[in-house]
Amino acid sequence: MAPRRKRDRKTRRSVIVVDRLADWTITVGGIGVIVAVFGIMAFLAEVVVPLFTGGQVEATVGNSRPPKQGRVVMDVVDEYNTLSVAVTAAGEVSAFHLPTGRPVEAPEFDLGGTQPTAFGRTLSGGEIGFGFANGSVRFGVLRNDVKVLRRTDLPGGLSKLDDRDSSDGRSVFRTIPAEQVRQLTVGAELNPPQMISPGKAIVAIAYRLGGTVERPTRSFATLDADGTARLSRTETRVNLLTGAISETVTTSTLPELPRGLEVAALLINSEADQLLIADRGGTVYRFDTRDFARPKLAETIDLVPGNGELRALGYLIGEQSLVAGDSTGRVDVYFRLPRPEAKSTDGFTLVRAHALEPHAGGVLAMAASLRGKMFATVDAGGQVWLRHSTSSQTLLKLAVPADAAVETLVLSPREDGLLALTGDGRYHFWKISVPHPETTLASVFGKVWYEGHSAPAFTWQSSSGNDQFEPKLSLVPLIFGTIKATFYSLLFAVPVAMLAAIYTSEFVHRTVRAVVKPTMELMASLPSVVLGFIAALILAPLVETWIAAVLIAFVVLPAALLLGAYLWQLLPLPVALRLEGLPKFAAFFLVLAAAAQIAFWIAPAFERLLFAGDLKAWANGDIGSDLPFLALLLLPLGYVVASQLFWRGFGVPFEAKLRQLGHRLAGAADGGRWLLQGLVALVLSLFGAQVLMALGLGAREGLVDTYVQRNTLVVGFAMGFAVIPIIYTIAEDALNAVPEHLRAASLACAATPWQTATAVILPTAMSGVFAAIMIGMGRAVGETMIVVMAAGNTPLLEWNVFNGLRALSANIAVELPEAVRDSTLYRMLFLAALSLFVMTFVINTAAEVIRQRFRKRAAQL
Amino acid sequence: MPDSAISKTSAMAPARAPDAVRSRSTSLRARGEPFVWLLGGALAFGVMMIVGFLLLVLWNGIAAFFPKPLAEVRLTDGSKLAGEPTRRERYPVTPEQLGKLASAPRAAILAADGVSGRTLYRIGNYDIYNEDFRWVSDFEVTTVAYPAQLMFVERREWGPLVGSAVAMKLGNEAERPMAAFSAAAVTAAHREALARWERIRHLERGEIGRINHYLEQGRLRVRRAELRHGTASAEAQTARAAAEEQARELQKSYDAFSGEARDLRQRDATHLITFAEIGGKTKTLPLSGVVRMYAANDLHLMDKLAVYVSRWWEFLSDEPREANTEGGVLPAIFGTFAMTLLLVLVVAPFGVVTALYLREYARQGRLVSIVRISVNNLAGVPSIVYGVFGLGFFAYILGGTIDQVFFSERLPSPTFGTGGLLWSSLTLALLTVPVVIVATEEALAAVPRSMREGSLACGASKWQTIRNIVLPRAMPGIMTGIILAMARGAGEVAPLMLVGVVKLAPELPIDGFFPYIHLERSFMHLGFHIFDVGFQSRNSEAGKPMVFVTTVLLVALVAAMNASAIIIRSRLKRKFQGSQF
Repeated sequence: MAPRRKRDRKTRRSVIVVDRLADWTITVGGIGVIVAVFGIMAFLAEVVVPLFTGGQVEATVGNSRPPKQGRVVMDVVDEYNTLSVAVTAAGEVSAFHLPTGRPVEAPEFDLGGTQPTAFGRTLSGGEIGFGFANGSVRFGVLRNDVKVLRRTDLPGGLSKLDDRDSSDGRSVFRTIPAEQVRQLTVGAELNPPQMISPGKAIVAIAYRLGGTVERPTRSFATLDADGTARLSRTETRVNLLTGAISETVTTSTLPELPRGLEVAALLINSEADQLLIADRGGTVYRFDTRDFARPKLAETIDLVPGNGELRALGYLIGEQSLVAGDSTGRVDVYFRLPRPEAKSTDGFTLVRAHALEPHAGGVLAMAASLRGKMFATVDAGGQVWLRHSTSSQTLLKLAVPADAAVETLVLSPREDGLLALTGDGRYHFWKISVPHPETTLASVFGKVWYEGHSAPAFTWQSSSGNDQFEPKLSLVPLIFGTIKATFYSLLFAVPVAMLAAIYTSEFVHRTVRAVVKPTMELMASLPSVVLGFIAALILAPLVETWIAAVLIAFVVLPAALLLGAYLWQLLPLPVALRLEGLPKFAAFFLVLAAAAQIAFWIAPAFERLLFAGDLKAWANGDIGSDLPFLALLLLPLGYVVASQLFWRGFGVPFEAKLRQLGHRLAGAADGGRWLLQGLVALVLSLFGAQVLMALGLGAREGLVDTYVQRNTLVVGFAMGFAVIPIIYTIAEDALNAVPEHLRAASLACAATPWQTATAVILPTAMSGVFAAIMIGMGRAVGETMIVVMAAGNTPLLEWNVFNGLRALSANIAVELPEAVRDSTLYRMLFLAALSLFVMTFVINTAAEVIRQRFRKRAAQL
Repeated sequence: MPDSAISKTSAMAPARAPDAVRSRSTSLRARGEPFVWLLGGALAFGVMMIVGFLLLVLWNGIAAFFPKPLAEVRLTDGSKLAGEPTRRERYPVTPEQLGKLASAPRAAILAADGVSGRTLYRIGNYDIYNEDFRWVSDFEVTTVAYPAQLMFVERREWGPLVGSAVAMKLGNEAERPMAAFSAAAVTAAHREALARWERIRHLERGEIGRINHYLEQGRLRVRRAELRHGTASAEAQTARAAAEEQARELQKSYDAFSGEARDLRQRDATHLITFAEIGGKTKTLPLSGVVRMYAANDLHLMDKLAVYVSRWWEFLSDEPREANTEGGVLPAIFGTFAMTLLLVLVVAPFGVVTALYLREYARQGRLVSIVRISVNNLAGVPSIVYGVFGLGFFAYILGGTIDQVFFSERLPSPTFGTGGLLWSSLTLALLTVPVVIVATEEALAAVPRSMREGSLACGASKWQTIRNIVLPRAMPGIMTGIILAMARGAGEVAPLMLVGVVKLAPELPIDGFFPYIHLERSFMHLGFHIFDVGFQSRNSEAGKPMVFVTTVLLVALVAAMNASAIIIRSRLKRKFQGSQF
């Protein structure tokens, strides 16, 4: 049994199992957490990507449609892509089921046997206007009547169209969730004729509905065979008591057009204050019809340079953008904009704002969306392109698989389908999905020309109360806001933190350091919501009231410290040495407190001097002069120049002289030198300010042109609380990590502590100190609550320290809770988050790499 | 050659000025005194910033609940106002104001550089004056008095009332002037009214809320049966019948409770108290609508302390009222703690496991050091980014899936598919896990290699070594990391705004209904409470005391966590110092 004894020394099975289990759990868990953490970036990117992919086709249908006489002049598709209702040149109406092409009965327009000679329609749907050879016009409407029924109420005897739809010949029934059925029926209505130009055939008609619900108006423009254009308005009044409807028609004649004008398009807008007549050559006569009785020709402009012919002209929703397509395939979008140099009578002119990708062949037709700035164009080669006006991009390129030309193109009301009717009696329908047509990389990071704006600009405005509002989503103002907040907060935090770190590491006794450093680090643990609250509700009103004191403090505090130093030099050496430790440190506090009090006292006088007594009026440019404020800004620069001038010019002899004087005399001389230098600095900065003024570079143009209560100054100060401790701690650690023997060697060579700090310690620790600043910057970039609360959240592109800003992080916090999931805004905010993530990750990684390199180097010293 | 050196020196001595020794003293420029003062000044400035900040918060927070005297101020234009002087400040008088003044005060102000003092009075009576606060400049004031009969009345609606009590009506008795009641009688009547009000609230919120909960449960059971088996199925029929049966029974108890509540309300409406305010108007309100009233100028120190303590007690133990600007913050305290606790439950195991993997299991190479740098940097990624991720991934994708699988009967209203306690904790866990990883790794690295080798040499398995030797030694570091993560998590607000914090949560995440802990519920948070009251309330000035007190609470919470991290670290260090090899 001897071999059996070996068993005792074998590891117990449970130990092995537990060990394996631990092995496995820790490995899986560890890798899992690492993957999860990195998955964040992947997830953010995944949400963002659909912003930049165009559209896609989900299904295609190509079929023949019910035969009818003549060309199709208008087609209406319902919201659910169930039915297509077409009107032919003969005025006949036909409807068919979109997915199958099966005919559905549609009511006819009773035109009394006459053939219409012209057609017009509104932007928004089935309203159609006919013009006749006798000079009369009639208006009608095609409606898609929708009724929702319970499934049990479905009538019998239906024939099945496809797996969802069935029909009784008149209506289409579609099964929808929750045991319900949607019934879709085509309805038609026709108004009685109105005589406009007796005896002269109408060749073109355009019409719009306007007015209010109680008093609807119908405005329409006609052009007759003689080339006379007329503008008419029908006002309908409903008598509230009797319910009787009375209509009044007023007509005015437009200024004469050139003879023999071949009209290509006639357009009016809903307010009927603009009327456009375009001839085939592309010349547009724009009439100003704001004065209905006396229309004026405002401007004549050629939209088709060269030999091309104008083929398609139409408004996009909102009637601010005009799309023009010509026979060379060019597609442009024009805005009517005020231009002082315009050669028009009303000060406006049509400006080509977007030149879109041209078709290979001539443009045949265009179809505008009913809800956005999307539209589709088709060319002679059967290419159907879906485009977006604002972002100038082509979203989808589809080809009609037929030789026959496209007669009519329709974009579904929900922008989810495109229908092309071809001349050979067929139709092609694409079910499409274009969730984010307005965003491209160029529109997010570049300037975009929005409707009604006079030039391309960086704009962030994601929502508004208006229905026809177009969201303006440029990240640039937000990125700028983040950079501005970071810049100003670092401008304040870096000097304070760095100087404090050097002092802590080089000039303070270990016991003091043990108290001071944790105190500063305590600042880092303050929740930022607390900082933001104090900044916005306590600090901002205080700063607003005492702005002069705050500005003066930037000069008075350092000046007071310097004054203290020069007075300290007057102390006899033994006394100074005895007071070197804590008493001197206490003196700093006393000097600062006294300086703050002095700044507070002299503030009213300075406010009168700097801002003529009222900062807000001064900032708006109403009162006062720029000179004192510019001089204050230039003062630090003036001081540096003055001191450089002195030390370069008289440095060596002055120092030699000082050495010969006694301690106290030398101190006095040095102090006198400093006062003189300050005086020179003052003179220099005043002079510099004069020069700048003479050059026309005032402080109030762009730099400080307005003052708001929650401004960057306040943000910078509050952010200091968040950033200073970080920079301070890391920089102090770096300085402290410089090996002690370097310090000892320097001091042993008779260098003073100041010389040791600047010539030995700081250069050695430079990379670590730099890393500290980078990490502080990373924190400032991502700080959210302080900017949400104290920055005013206005997306501006200006460096004015007295104005607010809107940072990426604040924008996310404010807008994401309201954003609809998977909407464009939602994805844009994810893009903002991704930008922040990348910015901070790059900054921090760079800092970390520098820091590690520094550590290695410090260890080698 | 020492001789020659000496002789050289002595030879040169007469040529120099007699005080040549002086020249070897350090030059002023080398000492860099002005620069040193700038350095020191910066440090002093930093220390002043933090100390000043803490003093500001502490002073305002601690003094906020202390009853202040009520001043009756007569103004130069003959009008009167009464209120608590809230704070004073000096401000530059605008030229328009100066223009309207008589010559004497104008000269006085001009002599003081155009600066005057002013006092902010909390005048209350928002329902009468449409403002809670009023600035009164010194030059407007004729006299200030502190009459003893002025009372500060905290109401359930419309904020505080400042005025004197004139009459009271108890039940069916006739209204009698205030003088007819003894102080004890007033207190007793008030106490009784408050008890009645508590009972009404208990009935309406507690009992009737419970009935509504059961009704909703019944509806959901029916819906679930319909979804699973179809509308016409036998299961659905049974569920429907059961729900109707239950509804009938609940209706009975509902009638009983609502009847009692109605009776109480009727009774309550007969107990009234009338106040006269300074402008001469009177205001009658039910006694139960008064939360607290005291004659501010007639209080002894002990009475003041009693008011102070009772306000703190209300603050810590009650729910907010008046759009969060008054009342308590119990739900917010609860929410903060619950979230932090959950955060620790998630972050501690995962953080430690990852650090163990990185330090003990993964092969140390370039890849691991890259991972380490990245993890380190994730601590610097802005918290709002984690919030965005939490909303998009946890709430919408994960929560949406959970809803579809387990809570389909509640759709389209989301259960887990929106922000909530669980998602907030997970988001903050993700945010703070780098802190734990870094701290744990450092602690693991500090365990001497010799100890591991000794353990392995004795035949312990790798896990046994980690469990018995490495982890205990690294415990102080790990604990510190976890507590620091808690402190960071408790103070974060920005990501929570996206993943589940609300300004007013009607239900706590823990209650008496199955499954008792409702991780899907949104919750209140101290930090968000500060943001909400400070920025989104009717009058931010009225909310200020509340915000300051909440701030003190939050800062104290975070500071306590940070301090305990330090204490635990040092204590555990001491414990393990003895066992050093």
